[in-house]
Amino acid sequence: MAAEALRGLLLGVVSLAGGFAVGSAFVALLIVLDLIPRLVQLTRAYRRSPVFESAILIGSQYWICADLFDWTFRLSARFLLIPAAFQGLFVGMFAAALTEVLNVIPIVSKRLKLKPYLLPLLMALVFGKVTGSLVDWLWLQP
Amino acid sequence: MGRSEEDSTVVYVRMRRRAVVRPGAVVYLGDVARLVTETALQKRLEKLPLHEVTAADGNLVLIDMLQVVKAIREAEPGMVIETFGEPHVLLEISPAGEVKPRKVVLVLAWLLLFFGSGMAMMNFHADVNMPAVQLRITELITGKGSKHPWLFQIPYSIGVGMGMLLFFNRLLRKRLNDEPNPLEVEMFMYQENVNHYVITEEYRKKHEDRTGRDGG
Repeated sequence: MAAEALRGLLLGVVSLAGGFAVGSAFVALLIVLDLIPRLVQLTRAYRRSPVFESAILIGSQYWICADLFDWTFRLSARFLLIPAAFQGLFVGMFAAALTEVLNVIPIVSKRLKLKPYLLPLLMALVFGKVTGSLVDWLWLQP
Repeated sequence: MGRSEEDSTVVYVRMRRRAVVRPGAVVYLGDVARLVTETALQKRLEKLPLHEVTAADGNLVLIDMLQVVKAIREAEPGMVIETFGEPHVLLEISPAGEVKPRKVVLVLAWLLLFFGSGMAMMNFHADVNMPAVQLRITELITGKGSKHPWLFQIPYSIGVGMGMLLFFNRLLRKRLNDEPNPLEVEMFMYQENVNHYVITEEYRKKHEDRTGRDGG
C-alpha cells in the first residue's frame, strides 16, 4: 500500500516536472519569436502584459485539459469557424515571425538587390502559403 | 567658463523619451523636458513654445535637442544650457491626449492567443505522441498501464501552467519580485527598436527637407 502511494507520488513528480519544462519552453518560444510585442503594438496596449499572459495561460490550460480529459461540446459545425480563423491567424503569424527571426527576407532582398520589390515579394510569400495550404487540405490529403 | 558665475545662469535640461500630445496643440518646453534653474526663469522657460502640431506632421514628430537649445537661446540670450538624457524626444500625436488601447483589437488578440496557444500545445502533443509517452511512463513507474493515467495527466497539466507562470515571474504572489518578466523586457526592447527606427527616419526626413530647400 505504501509502495503504491510512493509510486503514485513519483509519477506525479515526474509529470509535474515534464509539464514545467513544456510550459516554460513554449512561452520562451513565443517570446523569442516577438509575436506578443507585435500584438501589443497592434492593440496599443502598452504595459498590459497580464492580458496577453492570461490568454496564453488559459488557452493552453483549457485545450490541454480538453484534449486529455475529453471535454466535449455538442455545438453545430458553424462554431468551428471561430477557432479555425484564429488558429489560422496564429499559425500564419508564427510562420511569418519565424522567417522574420531568421532574417531570411532582409538578407535575400539585400543580396539580390530586391529591396524596392519587398512588398510584391511578401505578397508572393503570403499567396504561396495560402495556396499551399488550400492545395494540401483540399486536394492532396485523401 | 571664462565668464563669472554671477552673470550667466545655468539651466539644466533633461529631455523626456517620448510624450503624447493632441493634434493642433502647441508643444511647450515643459511638456518635453524637465528643467532645473531659478524658479522664475524655470516658469518662463517651461512656457516656451517649441512646435505647433499640424496635420502635415503625421502621428509622430521628433523634437531635437538643437531645436530646444535654439529656442532657449532666442528667448533668454546668454544662458548656459546643460543637457542630460536623450538628445531628442519623440512626440506621439493622439486625439485623446494619451495612447489608449484599442479594445476590440485587444479582445481579438486575446482570442487569437487563446486558440493559438491551445492548438500549438495540442499540435506538440500529437507531434511527439504524448498519449503513448504518458502511458509508457505510467507503466514504467507503477508497473501497470491504464487508458487514462489521471495521475500523470493532472499534475502534467498543472505543471504546464506553473511553468508558464514561473516564466512570467508571477508565481504564488502577484509577482515574485520587482524585476520585469521576460515578456515585459521583450516588449520594451521591441518598442525601443521601433523608436530607434522612427527617430532615424525622422532625422533623415528633416535632413532631406533642409538640403532640398537649400538646393531649390
